Amino acid sequence: MRAALKEALSRGWVRMVALVCAATVGARIAGAVLSSEIHFSATLAEPGKFSRLEVALLLIGAGISIALFFRRFGPILCIIFRSKKDKDFSLHPIGRRMWDFFWEVLCQGKVIRQRPLPGLAHAFVFWGFLAFALVSLNHLANPFGLAFLRPASYVGNFYFLFAAIWALLVAVSITVLFVRRFLARPIWLGEKLSYESGVIAFLIFLLMVSYLGAFFVGDGGAAVKALWWMHTLTLLVFLPLIPHTKHLHLVLSPLTVFLKRDGFSKIPPLSSDEDFGLIAGKDVTQLISLQVYSCVECGRCTEHCPASNTGKVLNPKEIVLGVQSYLNQSGPASDAPLLTEALVESRDNPPARYMSMEAAFECTTCGSCEYQCPVGIQHLPIIIGLRRGATNTGAWEDTHGTKLFLALEKQGNALGLSAMERDKFIQKQGFPIFDGTQEYCLWLGCMGGYDPKGREIVADFARVMRYLGTSFGVLKKEKCTGDPARRLGNDLVFQTMAESGLKAFEAAKVQKIVSICPHCVRTISNDWREYGIAPEIEHHSEFMARHKDRLPQQNSGESIVYHDPCYLGRYRDVYEEPREIVARAGELVEAPRSHERSFCCGAGGGLAFLGEETGERVSHVRAAELVATGAKIVGTACPFCNTMFRDALSSMGDAPPQLLDIAQLTARALPTMQKTGER
Amino acid sequence: MKILVAIKQVPERDAQIGITASGRWIDESDLNYTINEPDAYALEEALQLKEKNGGEVVVMCAGPERVGSTLREALAKGADRAIHIEANDLGERDTLGVAQVLAEIAKDEAPDLILTGLQSDDLGLGQTGVVLAELLGIPHATLIMHVEKTATGLRVKRELEDGWFQYVEMPLPALLTIQSGGNKLRYATLMGIKKAKTKETKTLQAAAAVSPSIALERVYLPEKQKETEMLTGTPAEVAAKLVEKLKFEVRVL
Repeated sequence: MRAALKEALSRGWVRMVALVCAATVGARIAGAVLSSEIHFSATLAEPGKFSRLEVALLLIGAGISIALFFRRFGPILCIIFRSKKDKDFSLHPIGRRMWDFFWEVLCQGKVIRQRPLPGLAHAFVFWGFLAFALVSLNHLANPFGLAFLRPASYVGNFYFLFAAIWALLVAVSITVLFVRRFLARPIWLGEKLSYESGVIAFLIFLLMVSYLGAFFVGDGGAAVKALWWMHTLTLLVFLPLIPHTKHLHLVLSPLTVFLKRDGFSKIPPLSSDEDFGLIAGKDVTQLISLQVYSCVECGRCTEHCPASNTGKVLNPKEIVLGVQSYLNQSGPASDAPLLTEALVESRDNPPARYMSMEAAFECTTCGSCEYQCPVGIQHLPIIIGLRRGATNTGAWEDTHGTKLFLALEKQGNALGLSAMERDKFIQKQGFPIFDGTQEYCLWLGCMGGYDPKGREIVADFARVMRYLGTSFGVLKKEKCTGDPARRLGNDLVFQTMAESGLKAFEAAKVQKIVSICPHCVRTISNDWREYGIAPEIEHHSEFMARHKDRLPQQNSGESIVYHDPCYLGRYRDVYEEPREIVARAGELVEAPRSHERSFCCGAGGGLAFLGEETGERVSHVRAAELVATGAKIVGTACPFCNTMFRDALSSMGDAPPQLLDIAQLTARALPTMQKTGER
Repeated sequence: MKILVAIKQVPERDAQIGITASGRWIDESDLNYTINEPDAYALEEALQLKEKNGGEVVVMCAGPERVGSTLREALAKGADRAIHIEANDLGERDTLGVAQVLAEIAKDEAPDLILTGLQSDDLGLGQTGVVLAELLGIPHATLIMHVEKTATGLRVKRELEDGWFQYVEMPLPALLTIQSGGNKLRYATLMGIKKAKTKETKTLQAAAAVSPSIALERVYLPEKQKETEMLTGTPAEVAAKLVEKLKFEVRVL
């Protein structure tokens, strides 16, 4: 292991040294030309008149460069346009799209926020490029006598100096990024070194140097002409490299960010009777094509992926690149299956079964990948789309998965227990049946209705509601929301569940729903929309936070580390409400990865029901992280997280922290009430 | 191989059963129905035999309109055709009566093999398949866990008591009643449901019921019994008595 690291490092060094040598030789040649007339002036030197030969050479060079660019870019555009139309696509809401474009593209907000140092370096290169657009245009217009920026004019001089500042920032930033990629070598960029990135970084550096050089030479001399040609040639070499490399994101990603599907983890409705999900190339839609060609291979998706981090086959970046190479090879009309058990070649990593069914079904749908992606790729519709293709056709044969689907078909709950168990629980707790007179319908969910720990949470939350004097009732019969079926790609079961749930709410005339389960909240409020509009639903953290002033402030001084559930945080954007509740119960402690960077518990995407995982357990990794904060209590807000951690903490040696839901954290401080019969 | 699967629709396992005013049948309103579990395994066995050996799987079900959903589910899982024998008076027909209705269809279809569950989840008589075989004059075997096609006919695995199995060779055509748990059931898929819409479902009227040979007197819910008995003696004696009672009276040991 260490030897391999050493070797990799030394390989990196060799390459670095080679590049530095090349740069030095280049600089020497330039130096020889410059040595006679080197001096600094605050104005950019003008190259003077161009001969006809030079103009002709420029035209030929530009022609070749543009032709080479389109030789690759043309087919890519063709693939994107010939992909299946996204039937549900609409530009609405245009305001949100413009804001995303402004914030994520122009301000580079996401890039900087999620990876500050390299993000800022990238932002400087991007802004530098924007500032440089006019300079480059002017540069190429020069030989034709069409230059519009004159160093002699005030405006021109100002702009050239302005661009020079950016050129400096770009040069420094690209050096930083180069050092990061070739020396620091974060694993997320891939196991293999990307030579092309080195070449591109060098070209960008050269562009800046050749521009800045013109401040050190006199007007009209051979030196400035040499610099001009150097700058031009770099541009002409750079252009065709764009569509051949991940630098295609320069062209595509602004569009991708603007056009991405509205909503987080939005799973599009199946478009026809022949549509069962992503089975083959013919099912890949234009948005997916555009997105996979926009991939910049930064590996943020993989860096945050709970599956990739615990030794699973799944690598979200390789899924995106896998679809991309599929489209390159087979095209968007192909009938060849997307999922394959064969080894898939990758530019960045050794070949592996990146597109296998196993990989597709290892996703916890935590959404970190989609949240992190700086170029607007929406991984979840792709991964869930692949699952739909496998499940809706019956190609996915998994003992646990089949058991789950049959349980949902027959018993109507994911745990496969008799519905009578729920009736008994309701009776024992004295929960009133919702009859239209109560304010809230308390949705129990499978965990709340059948799981022992989930029941404790629901019972405690009911105590909180009673304490607050909020009237509530539960549905007489309740079936699963279909969340695990939805995420595992079983549209038949999901539709049955959604329709049955919508009907139950309508029949009971429910107006407002509250639930302890973020998965239920998300599925009812969002995924069910394909079949109808459910009554307004909120998570119990939102409900309790609204009434927090009437809930007791506990001065226990206990430290409580709060774990953000994926389906509450990234999916619903609820981060502060549960924290307000935790803060009333004790001293809030943050885990190293929290808020939108929270690490999954491993239960989502139906995986809670799929049996033993390969490699390390996601829940154990996260539980160890929470324990390491030294907090006395682990606070959760999702019954699935709770059950995963219960198991993980029990194997974590003596005296693991206590595990409590936010409802339990609140209820423990309530005065005890008379036991039964209270309504 | 042409396989005919006889399936029955029964109330869902968790259904709250009520008795009609007449006291002769269950109250069918407000009940959800599903495929009888051993029949689901019979269908699965038929589908697997077809996948291995080719042929056709036809499902038939007697009952009112509601059984259509169960037939559609069978088509979605892979059956090729369905036959719905419309009858609203199953409660008034005894085993022989139902078997006669099924036999009519079986004669027309002339399959190589007839499969059905070993018993129904609701009545639990376990006779329909056997009587049907008798009416058709073909050999049958019950409690089948596994079916294998041989050059001359079938080799089947029967479940006996106490973990014993019996292997039987038999000729075709034949009838088998299938035990639950021999295979893994498959889930219905969206593609299956879409395909099912294009498959044929034939609806036939059942012949009028003749007077049954078995008369149904009364249907009632299980009556709970509570019995308390105090055991006396030394702790050792009480323990010995308790073990004896648990073994021979309650039969849980």
